[in-house]
Amino acid sequence: MRFLPLVWAALRRKPIRSILTFLSVTAAFTLFGLVIGLSDSMKIMEERAHPDRIWTLPRFDMNGMPIAMAKQIGRFPGVKGVTVTSYFNGYVGDPKNRAFVAFLDDEYGRIFPDWGPTIEQWDVVRHNRTAIIMSRKMATLFHKKAGGSFTIIAPNFPRADGSNVWTFKVAGIGEEITQNIGGYIIGNYTYFDESLPLAKRSRMDEVDLQATDPAIVDALAARIDRTFANSGNPTRSLPEKVVYAVGNNWGGVDVNAVTRDIALVGLLMILYLTSSVLAKSVRERRSEFATLKSFGFTDRAVIGLVAAEAALPCLLGAVTGVVVAGILARQMPSFMPPDAPIPTPTVSTSVLFWALACAAIVALGSAILPSLRLTRMDIATALSERG
Amino acid sequence: MLRQFVIVSVLNFRNLRHRFWESLVIVIGMACVSGVLLSMLSMTEGLLDAFHRNVDPRTIIAVGRGTQWENASSIPRDQARIVMSAPGIAKAPDGQPIADANLIAYVPARLKTNSGDNPIPLRTFGPKGAMLRPNFHIVAGRMFRPGAHELIAGVLAGSRFAGMGLGDKVILPDGEWPIVGIFETGDLLDGQLVGDTASVMPTLRHKAFNTVLARLQSPADFATFHRAITTNPLLTVDVMPLADWNAKASGQFVAFSRIIVYGAGAILAIGALFGCFNTMYAAVESRGREIATLRALGYSGLPIAASVMLEAAALAVAGALIGAGIAWLLYDGVQSGWGENAFLLVVSPAMAGIGVLWAMVVAVLGGLMPSIQAARWSVADALRAR
Repeated sequence: MRFLPLVWAALRRKPIRSILTFLSVTAAFTLFGLVIGLSDSMKIMEERAHPDRIWTLPRFDMNGMPIAMAKQIGRFPGVKGVTVTSYFNGYVGDPKNRAFVAFLDDEYGRIFPDWGPTIEQWDVVRHNRTAIIMSRKMATLFHKKAGGSFTIIAPNFPRADGSNVWTFKVAGIGEEITQNIGGYIIGNYTYFDESLPLAKRSRMDEVDLQATDPAIVDALAARIDRTFANSGNPTRSLPEKVVYAVGNNWGGVDVNAVTRDIALVGLLMILYLTSSVLAKSVRERRSEFATLKSFGFTDRAVIGLVAAEAALPCLLGAVTGVVVAGILARQMPSFMPPDAPIPTPTVSTSVLFWALACAAIVALGSAILPSLRLTRMDIATALSERG
Repeated sequence: MLRQFVIVSVLNFRNLRHRFWESLVIVIGMACVSGVLLSMLSMTEGLLDAFHRNVDPRTIIAVGRGTQWENASSIPRDQARIVMSAPGIAKAPDGQPIADANLIAYVPARLKTNSGDNPIPLRTFGPKGAMLRPNFHIVAGRMFRPGAHELIAGVLAGSRFAGMGLGDKVILPDGEWPIVGIFETGDLLDGQLVGDTASVMPTLRHKAFNTVLARLQSPADFATFHRAITTNPLLTVDVMPLADWNAKASGQFVAFSRIIVYGAGAILAIGALFGCFNTMYAAVESRGREIATLRALGYSGLPIAASVMLEAAALAVAGALIGAGIAWLLYDGVQSGWGENAFLLVVSPAMAGIGVLWAMVVAVLGGLMPSIQAARWSVADALRAR
């Protein structure tokens, strides 16, 4: 700490150089913060998946399943509760403004209490047939506020009366959740089902269930699929943990490897940059270091000074970079397409910790060669150089 | 003036070896930027390439009205028949229109890389299905027999998924379907399974087709064809050239991935820019006396400034090319996948051009201030500089 003024003076010697180094490091750590934050978001999604839930969907196509299957699954031993979902798509105003609604039955809120809407909001949807809850992202996208009405034209979903115009009331704005990347709009299954033509009623696109014990989830999923394997509606049941396993996202793209590699390339770039700048700065001040050594500074103290000179812009740049990454991450939903299939990076203190650790490694790495040279230098020769 | 510029530039490049390690900052910085940019872009470009390769401008697609995805599209049999006999569609040697109503379904599969759970598309061909894919050819085994419970798999399907090779069996609702052949088209189909429409349709209990593909006599016949379809009140379908549909289908991925790729590239490029700035400042500084001498000899500021820019640009472009080369070595032609699509990554010369363009921008921005400083330095100050 005592030598901080010395380090500071060294950095101020060429202020433009120090500032540019700091800015380079900041840029590299902005990218670091964003990609490592993205990887963290994927991990959070995996961690938040409930080990006792199973998602069951049609095995081969998107044509739905009869709702009676949900009742049958509900009677399996080890099933605590089941909930059915029907998906609905259409557009708002213009076909390019696509809108999706998930129509959920009364049980959904009980089985998925962690999926955004509050209990009160669930109750509103349960008791008001045309009520919908929009996530914040969706509300911003469609410029809706609680209390407004929301009209979707759905060519694929003609109503019993022949019209394909569906009007809902926005009963509330729900919180966004990391697991549901694209935001959500949820509505009342019973209303949806009863509005369809008779031939299309009593069907669902997905049935989710909660098991009494996470340990039986795999066996239960297999049992469901076995039961319906030879029926007209074969199923595909996946434990929620499997759905959200990082390796299962993005069709085999190893997100962790990709983000790590990008962060590494950024670090490599600034490692060379800082070492080059530091080497130059030390070379220019050989006589200064020789003076220090002749005052009795040990090699260790000199190395410490050089390392500190490298560390200051690196650590400051790491902190600034991660802060900028945090700000960018917060702004990200506004410049990404609403249906972009990646989560917003979670720039947390753990990202900051890793950034600081990496910055320290970069600083030490770039200090090695210059300090080695200093410890080996001949004081007399160095002192005789023009300073 | 030009002569001065050439002389100063030659002098610069000769001196470069004295500033070798510092100049490497620009080269390494730009290599990192262009390497990251092109490696990430290889995915976007690979997918786009797979979507758009082999698309005949005469091929059109019909989908259920207002649908955005093939698997959400539904065309009833009677409507499919009307579309397939519409005017403008080319005739095969057997006198039948070159048109094919088909299905797309998804079969659960396991990725070889991480045994992740990922669906593989199962597409069907009717009698004219293969004819509509000009590059379709069997590379191993044989074509499925019409009406039989047999499938064929694309070359990428076999390498991407476990149990999708020749002789493997795929479980469909009414039993195991052997894979009797491996085909190659060079486009997205290579990552999919193909079966006979007439046998897959009843197995999956589909009552309607997903899409209809057809080849027109010429792209100019689209207007006639389109009119015939849109004026027929019996039809609830949209028709468009297949190229347009593919652009729409890949649009979402391309739009968001470009934001990510160029965003990440831009952040890294800003870092490299400051590095370039730093290096060029140092270069100008270390050449202070040389510059002052030149000025004293009567050289004007402009050629000196231009030579500084040229140096920055040359270093940055060299870096960008190195980065592009590394990206090409690592990723060009490597098999990848996104969601249900399997494709090969692409690093093309045109993409290297993007890297070079970025390098030029970084060099111009990073070299500008130092070069102005070099040009503006008074002779006396520069001579005194150390």
